[in-house]
Amino acid sequence: MTARRLNRREALLAAAGGAGALLLTGCGSPRRPAADGSTLASTWVDPGTGQLQVGPGEPLRARVELGPARPVGAALARIAHLTDAHVLDASSPARVPFLARFGPPLQSTFRPQETLTVQVLAGAVHAIRAFAPELVIEGGDLVDNNQANELAHALTVLAGGTVHPGSGPDGYDGVQLSSDPDPFYYRPDIDAPRHPGLLRAAVAPLSVPGLDRPWVPVLGDHDALVAGELVPTPVTRALAVGDRALWQPPPHLHLPAGFRLNPSGSPDGPPDPRFVAAFLAQALAGPTVTVGADPTRAELAFTVADRLTAAAAGPGRPSPTVGGRLDGVRDIGAAVRLVVLDVTRRDGGSGGLVVPGQPAWLAEQLAAAGDRWVIVVTHQPLAGSTEGGERLLEVMDRFPRVVACLAGHTHRNRIAARPSPAGGYWMITTSSLIDFPQQSRALVLSETSGGGVVLDTWMLDHVDDGALGSVSRQLANLDAQGGRPFRFAGTPRDRNVRLFRRAVA
Amino acid sequence: MSATPGGGSRGRRRRFGDALRMLARSPRRALFTAAGVLLAAAMLSAAVVITDGLGGGFARASARADLGDLIIRFDPESARTVAAKLAALPDVSGFALRSEITSVGVRFGAHRSGTAVAEVLGPGRRQGFAVVAGHRLPAGGAPDVLVETAWAQAWGIAIGDELDVRGLGPERVVGYAEGPDDVGYPLGAPRFYLTRAQLVARFGIPTVGPVNFAEVWLRDPRLVDEVLVQARDESYGLRGLKFSTRAGVQVLISQAAGLVIDLLVALSVIALVTAAVMLGAAARAEVQRRLRSIGIRRALGAGRWALAAGQGLEVALVAVPAATVGTLAGFLATHGASGRLLSLLNEPAPGAGLILPLLGSWALSVAVPVLGAAWPAWRVTRGPVIGLLRGTDVATSRPRFPWPARGGGGLTGLGVRLVAARPARLVATVAMLASSTAFILLMIALAGTLSSLETDPQELGKRYELTAAAPAAAAARIARLPGVAAAEPRYELTAVDAYELGELVDVVAYPRQLSRFEAPPLAAGRRPHGADQAEVGVGLADALGLAPGSALLLELPSGRQLDLRVSGTVNSLAYEGLVAYLPAAVLLRADPAAPEQIAVLLAPRASTATVSAEMRRIGFPPTLTAGAVARGAPLVAVLTTILRAVAVLDGLVCLYALLQACALTVQERRSTVAVLRACGASPGAIARLLSGAVVTLIAPAAALGVLAEAWLLGPALARLAAGYASLDLAPTRVDVLAVLAGLALAGAIAVWAVTRRALAEPVLAGLAR
Repeated sequence: MTARRLNRREALLAAAGGAGALLLTGCGSPRRPAADGSTLASTWVDPGTGQLQVGPGEPLRARVELGPARPVGAALARIAHLTDAHVLDASSPARVPFLARFGPPLQSTFRPQETLTVQVLAGAVHAIRAFAPELVIEGGDLVDNNQANELAHALTVLAGGTVHPGSGPDGYDGVQLSSDPDPFYYRPDIDAPRHPGLLRAAVAPLSVPGLDRPWVPVLGDHDALVAGELVPTPVTRALAVGDRALWQPPPHLHLPAGFRLNPSGSPDGPPDPRFVAAFLAQALAGPTVTVGADPTRAELAFTVADRLTAAAAGPGRPSPTVGGRLDGVRDIGAAVRLVVLDVTRRDGGSGGLVVPGQPAWLAEQLAAAGDRWVIVVTHQPLAGSTEGGERLLEVMDRFPRVVACLAGHTHRNRIAARPSPAGGYWMITTSSLIDFPQQSRALVLSETSGGGVVLDTWMLDHVDDGALGSVSRQLANLDAQGGRPFRFAGTPRDRNVRLFRRAVA
Repeated sequence: MSATPGGGSRGRRRRFGDALRMLARSPRRALFTAAGVLLAAAMLSAAVVITDGLGGGFARASARADLGDLIIRFDPESARTVAAKLAALPDVSGFALRSEITSVGVRFGAHRSGTAVAEVLGPGRRQGFAVVAGHRLPAGGAPDVLVETAWAQAWGIAIGDELDVRGLGPERVVGYAEGPDDVGYPLGAPRFYLTRAQLVARFGIPTVGPVNFAEVWLRDPRLVDEVLVQARDESYGLRGLKFSTRAGVQVLISQAAGLVIDLLVALSVIALVTAAVMLGAAARAEVQRRLRSIGIRRALGAGRWALAAGQGLEVALVAVPAATVGTLAGFLATHGASGRLLSLLNEPAPGAGLILPLLGSWALSVAVPVLGAAWPAWRVTRGPVIGLLRGTDVATSRPRFPWPARGGGGLTGLGVRLVAARPARLVATVAMLASSTAFILLMIALAGTLSSLETDPQELGKRYELTAAAPAAAAARIARLPGVAAAEPRYELTAVDAYELGELVDVVAYPRQLSRFEAPPLAAGRRPHGADQAEVGVGLADALGLAPGSALLLELPSGRQLDLRVSGTVNSLAYEGLVAYLPAAVLLRADPAAPEQIAVLLAPRASTATVSAEMRRIGFPPTLTAGAVARGAPLVAVLTTILRAVAVLDGLVCLYALLQACALTVQERRSTVAVLRACGASPGAIARLLSGAVVTLIAPAAALGVLAEAWLLGPALARLAAGYASLDLAPTRVDVLAVLAGLALAGAIAVWAVTRRALAEPVLAGLAR
């Protein structure tokens, strides 16, 4: 049988179809964000205009400072690191948003995207579910201001259910209303990029599926302290549940002399709470605004630690806090152990603090780990943000099976190799969900030939079922006091990398 | 004439020769046609020069100067601090910082000024202005400056001259600069540029010092609003902030230029249509006259295309040179004035960029008459050849109007009926004349009004002419004075923004009729319509992030606050846009002691001097609102020159239309005129005949033209320009009489010229027809 020849019409249709297929498959078609949030497939990039667009994924880059690249074998553990969500109540009278206009280190007291933290956390949960880890590390600063309603919202997102993100009688009553004449706040109904109705949408009920897998909490400064700085006082407690809010700076408010940000410090605020206390004293002397009171804004102080562990453990299961501290261990399979260290100060201040006995306890846990590979987790990085952190690092330096030291707090992606006589380990910090780039981190620890391991890690963008997550990411990128100018996204060597670690000698 | 032109190059040469011969037979007709084409081309090219110049001036200036997308002025601040804030903004591709020093004393020859602006430049090649002559400033410490072109022209400063700058001494002028972010001297202050490196070398000041001016370039200028929001959020600590965007400056300038452009485009369309109608009618009449010869050529095999092309070629031989001369004439008439206007605006002339548009207008000026000539020939040849050979006369259709069907009026009445026998042409010609009359009246009124304004552009937006330092209670008494249309208390004070931005805001309030006394053009939203509403200048809106619906909080000198809702934003040139207009009741509630004066709005054509004398008589000596004459006068003078030149051109178009109408009438009624002459009609009789025709055209056209200007065009233009100035564009009696006299004169010239031409033709030739 001879092949049938195409007539002209059929040929034209075939050509048109082929051209259309070509177009659809990428010759000019707009790239879509990865449905699972994996930045290996695609990610959000800023071409320099401030407007994010979907760009190509970032492949894993090999880093061999701690061991040569070797063929990869079986996976030992699959972990997600979600940190610094800063779920916050933007209507709370216990906030001092006007401090942000003073710039660093106070810029985090107001963010244009701050009404959308619940939605972003929900999107991050969605991406983590798609990654399907064995364990999720909630790396601290799950909430922003030590408030009960903030914690309730955040835990509902992690557990699954319906969240009502607003507070007070109006859902939202804060500085971003269009009726607020203060030009230093982004008001979505008025200021570009305009998002009319955003504030109403932000407090609309949200149904979330939850993580649906084990997770372990790490205590952050914002979880336990007001604004990540202050131990709750009668003044702050009364403010939180009261009806007077501080929206405007008092006249002649000024920064104390010598007030500077520690270059490697957290954007959460200055390490010394005396500065913030001084500000509060001035602020309370200034004009206030009447807002709706809400008792669910009550401050939790350090009871938050118990609530976190109880939530992570699940109903009816014992919470493994010891004296209200969240130090603990968690095994992942037969080959990996997670050691969680609680370095959050109890006397105030955003920086970490190693308490007496912690180095010894860490040494015990590392010794008891045996042949397991160990990942140590803190909220504040041990180098540069934690007083006494070097002592813990020296302990870790002696143990050959420590693979990585994982932290949050700085809101910055960064990976540094720490060589040691025992083989060294990787110092990893993960960006936050509140500041650009609003990413979590996926980690897969695998064996390599020769007895070493490789820790594959890549970033996860939060996935947006609606539009609010994307709005938050865009606003966060535009923020001139946010993650973009401070380069929180890090370099490609801080994001999607393959971290080799040689075998134990 | 060849019977069968045929195809190919031989045929083309033959057609060319035929056309030349036909022109040679009727040189006066050819000249007449040429005059019409010349006038239309001149009007069109004048419109092109002005439109392209003004319409594209800002875009050219911005591109040439690489004007920033965002210009920010502020009180002096450390350059490092400002640079850090700008570097944190999204979408920024670069920025330049400088120190702008005002009230600098300069002297050159006999010229002096104490208001010069020195732009002390930082490092970097992008600076937001163009060096249009000479060379850039050297990197070292030599005492060199660049001066603005308009200032250099006004003072006669040449490159190489020395300018004496107070505090610096002699500075050598190494070039001319133009920065489109501001207007040129004398509209704006004299401006010169020098480098900070020069000051460092001479005085040992630090290399990096305080700055008060930032020019920012964006990767995507469409996102300037987003950048503005972030810039404002970053600006805490900077005081006296003023933002202006490239788009915002362009809107302001385009609004003013747009009025002039729209007028000129309308005028040129009228002129072109007039010429086209007249030329088309002439061509049709000519075709009618040649019907028999056309029929013979058709009978001998000539094609319709060839015949139409022949007609078109004949006109083209006239139109091409006429359009060329006309295009050049229009260009020359307006090029100088347009260039001067652009120089005042710190904008470059189109230069070689005009070539294409002028070629286009030239082509249009040729194409319209050529097509107008070819079309009747094409049409008439579609019928049977026998009809052509039989020949037809002018009136092939019954008159549509029942009058003036028969008798009466003598020769003048006959002239009326001859014109009325062509009702479509009558209506078209009257419409053209009426439009031209209306526009001439408008141009004259506008030129006169602008000359009498002598307004400082900074004052545009104010409609009242006088103010008096008097209590509010005196307003009623002043309002009753003859020549006063309205008088109201006016309150004005300086407030400060409530957020320590250091923004000084001018607050202006009236009890009732804010928009009657002061109303800059609305940029967004609407005029205040509620008790606590205000409209704010765009400058203030940008500085404080205001939009319709926003809340505005100002602190008054009394210590109290004004809590307002923004109803709209206005393009106010006054106070650099840092102004808020609101009802007096709101202001007085917060500050009962707000400074007051009486604003006085004069009645149309009331004498300022007379009203001032009356006000002095009753004890309230007034002050003129209009600012200094010097700054606005050159702009006004240039605009007036342009408008008057255009009015003259339009007048010539009217003359041409009348001449053409009379000539057509005579041409179509050659046999009638010949019969009259054969019966002994004198030249005066023929003139009376034509006078009737001319009066039939002029009388309704004049009436319609005057009414159109008084009721339609004048009020429409006044409304368009309402935000910039209060324009009284109703024609004065003198204007109307002058234009009517001009029309009558044009009619008389037409009658005289056509009569002469008609009498020159032998009577037998007309009878043979």
